[in-house]
Parts: sequence; structure tokens; C-alpha cells
Amino acid sequence: MSKSWTKEEGPQGDICLGTRIRLARNLAKVPFPATANREQAKQVLKKGKELVESLNHLASVKYYELAEVDELERQVLMEKHLISPEHTKKTSNKGLILSENEDISIMVNEEDHFRIQVFLPGLQLKAAWELANRVDNLIEANVDYAFDPDIGYLTACPTNVGTGMRGSVMLHLPALARINQLENVLRSVSQFGLAVRGLYGEGSESYGSIYQISNQISLGHSETEMLEHLSRVAHQVISSERQARQYLQEQNRDENEDQIHRAYGLLTHARIISSREAMDLLSTVMLGIDLGILRDLDRGLVKKLMVEIRAAHLQKMMGQSLPAQERDRLRASLIRDRLSRQI
Amino acid sequence: MLCEKCQKEEASVHVTKIVNGHKTETHLCQHCAKELGEFGLSIDLPNLFASLFDYSPFGGKLAAPKQCPTCGSTMEDFRQLNQFGCSDCYVTFRDEVEPLLRRLHGSSHHEGKVPAQGYAALSAERQVKMLRERLQQMISLENYEEAAKIRDQIRALERQAHREGE
Repeated sequence: MSKSWTKEEGPQGDICLGTRIRLARNLAKVPFPATANREQAKQVLKKGKELVESLNHLASVKYYELAEVDELERQVLMEKHLISPEHTKKTSNKGLILSENEDISIMVNEEDHFRIQVFLPGLQLKAAWELANRVDNLIEANVDYAFDPDIGYLTACPTNVGTGMRGSVMLHLPALARINQLENVLRSVSQFGLAVRGLYGEGSESYGSIYQISNQISLGHSETEMLEHLSRVAHQVISSERQARQYLQEQNRDENEDQIHRAYGLLTHARIISSREAMDLLSTVMLGIDLGILRDLDRGLVKKLMVEIRAAHLQKMMGQSLPAQERDRLRASLIRDRLSRQI
Repeated sequence: MLCEKCQKEEASVHVTKIVNGHKTETHLCQHCAKELGEFGLSIDLPNLFASLFDYSPFGGKLAAPKQCPTCGSTMEDFRQLNQFGCSDCYVTFRDEVEPLLRRLHGSSHHEGKVPAQGYAALSAERQVKMLRERLQQMISLENYEEAAKIRDQIRALERQAHREGE
């Protein structure tokens, strides 16, 4: 996620890695991005650029035109969740407004004209909504939104109509995964009208036992009601994970500690490692830190590694694109280096 | 049991179909089941949306296709892209959109935030509604002091809305 996501822990930060709120907004009388012609798309971009001035009252923000951002940098932004995969691919007439500490990002001309996103560490749905709401109010003072008194904010896809809001929380659930209870828990989450996804949104698989839970519906309830519902369910899942952790410590201690030390051993000695394997091992090591088994390791460093080991981040570090095999070597050496400096 | 189609893999998908009272059973491996589309998992979004619309019971599509006057999109375009062309499509295709929204969201009525500009009356109405809910809450908690405050807030908002309405 953003800088603040990796730097700080936030409430329930041992299990909830971060909170995100997204608001989908469109300008009245301008076709949605997929249908807009070049002139119309440029007009939206221009509006986006003009927003920077009023948004600067809230946070220090900058405007970028994605066509002018190089591909690797775009990938890095995607790995931090600041822009969507779609926004990295076709770049013509796409823009981004980003705050300095990366807690606010506004994609211009994605599926909707504006996609406002706010990121906070830990479980902070209410605070994230308040910030997103302030950003939205500032934008609204400058533009005419497409809004219908009956059905709310109008969006390209009817799945987002109404509030245009999606709240999501990113949860680290390694203990539930270990005792094979993850599927049960996640299935009941989906019965509460919430969606469960892997780390990178729509259709992505889970890496390192990290899951996103978000509201599925956007119409018929107020933003606060939807977020309270999401928050209640998130608290339930968090408390199940805590129980699972306790169970591991009480009933399965030797095996659990063995796995944690083995994961640490692999990370500190491997010479070639894929991002998938690294994520899974880092997740295990983080569990070890949370359970007090690995005492001398800095949790923030492990959390930061979870982002730094991703393909684009590695390549940016080396200042060039690298084939997958090279990346796997580089990843292993980065992890060894970071973890050994700890001791 | 081996898969009936490829005769190689173990059959793990068992499909029972009853068509006109005639029952057939098929046993397939996962791979062949997926290929034959017998697996319930490979739902693609366009088909899902299409099935959420009311088609005429006799198969054919209804009447001549409506077109959005602003962007020129039709419902057929929507079925293919899963996206509308512009915000006016929601007005043009209101009859089709409403049942769709009810199926997607369980509701077709927005209860959330309202833009401050141009929707002052609606915004006040939302606020009053929210305050009334809190008023009920406070009364049930026997917190009459807070309830009285909320009641005054509601009155003030209603007076204001009344003045603006004149």
C-alpha cells in the first residue's frame, strides 16, 4: 500500500495491515472514460489537473500524466496499490493525483472519471471515510458530479452506483490458514454480503495469507452503515485469527515454532526465491514476531520487505528491467541482507 | 471411476440432469467438465448480467432498441461491456436499470451522501432522517438530555428547509 501503510501499524495493526476507501465519481454531461472521445478525455484530465490547487489545502499533492511516467514507475505505483492494473496498461489520457505521503490517490480517467482512494494503516474505516469525504467535498466544490437523487452517484458500472464507495481492509490471517479454518471463515464473510479477494483485487490469488475484505453493494445504505457492517465483520475475522494464534501456541507449539524458525532459516539462507515463496515465508516470520517467537526482528522491516520484494520494486532498485531468474536472485540477496543486518 | 469423456483421469464431477422428466448422469474429470461447461464455476460476467435482465418470455428481445441520446449507447452495448456509456444512460434505460440495481444491491434507492451543491433540500432530508434514527436511539437509552438536543437540531433543519422551499 502506501508509505504510511508500511511505516505505521495503526489500530489492530498486528492483523489488519491497512484500510482503503475508494469513491467512484463522474462529471455530469461527459461520457464515461471508455466511451469519451479524445477531446472529452482531455477535458476531464484538465479538470483533474486544476483540482490540485484546492486539494493542496488538505494535503500536499502532485498531478502526474501517466503517459509521462515510465513503465517501471507505473508498476511500482501498482504494487503499492496506488493505481489499478488497468491504469498501468493503457496510459493515454490517464492521470493521477497523489499526496506526498501517499495516503490519498485520485486516478483520473480510469473506469470512472475520478477514483478517489484513501489509505490508512491498521483498521481505520471511519477515519479513512472522513478523509475520503473531505477530498470528495473539495473536488465537488469545483466540478459538477453526475448524481441522481434516486440512485445516487452515477458510475460506468452499475455495481458501483449509489455511494460509489468501496471500503476494504487488508487482513493477515496466517494462523487461520495453518489450522485449515480459513475457508470456513472467509465463506461466512461472503455470506454477509462482503467480498473476499487476494492481495491485488479482482480475481487475484492470495499471497502470504493476506486477504482483502470489502463491501460488495454500494446502494441502499449510507456510507457509515456499510462501513460499520464491514468493520463488525472485520473485527470478527480478526478475533477468529487471534483465537487461531492462541490455539497454535497452546496445542501445536513445537510444530508451529519449528515452521517459524524454518521460514526464517530459508529467508536468511536462500539464494534464489520467487515472490510467491518469499511472501509466504515473510508471512510466517511475521507470525513468529507477533507470537513473540522471533524476538529480535523488527516487524516494520518485515512488513516493508513484503512490498520491496515485488518485481517492479526490485527492478526500480536496480534501475533496470530484469528477467525473472535475475529477480529471484536479487530478491533472495535483498532479503538476506535486510534480515542479517537485524541481528 | 474414470472420466466418461477422456477415459484417463479419475471422475470427480458428477452431473445429474433432469430434462422433461428424463434423468441422465454424467461422470467427468475436472478438466473435461470445465471444457464441457458442466462446471458451475466458469461464470463470465457478461452472461451473468444478461441473465439479470428481464427478457421477453418468448426469447426474442423486446421492441426496437432504445438509444441514449447523449452517447448513442444501447442496452446491447451495455450487455457486452457491462458498462454504461454516460450518466444519461441511467435516465434513458431507467426501466431496465431499476430491476438490475435491485438484483445487484438489493435496493434501487440511494441512502448515502448527497452533493452539497444543488441538492440542499435532499441533503437536509437525509440529515433529518439520520437525526430521527439517533433520536429514537437516545429515547430508548433514556438519554433525554441528548434527545432534546437532537430534537432541536431536527426542528432547525426543518425550519430552514421550509424557508428555502418558499
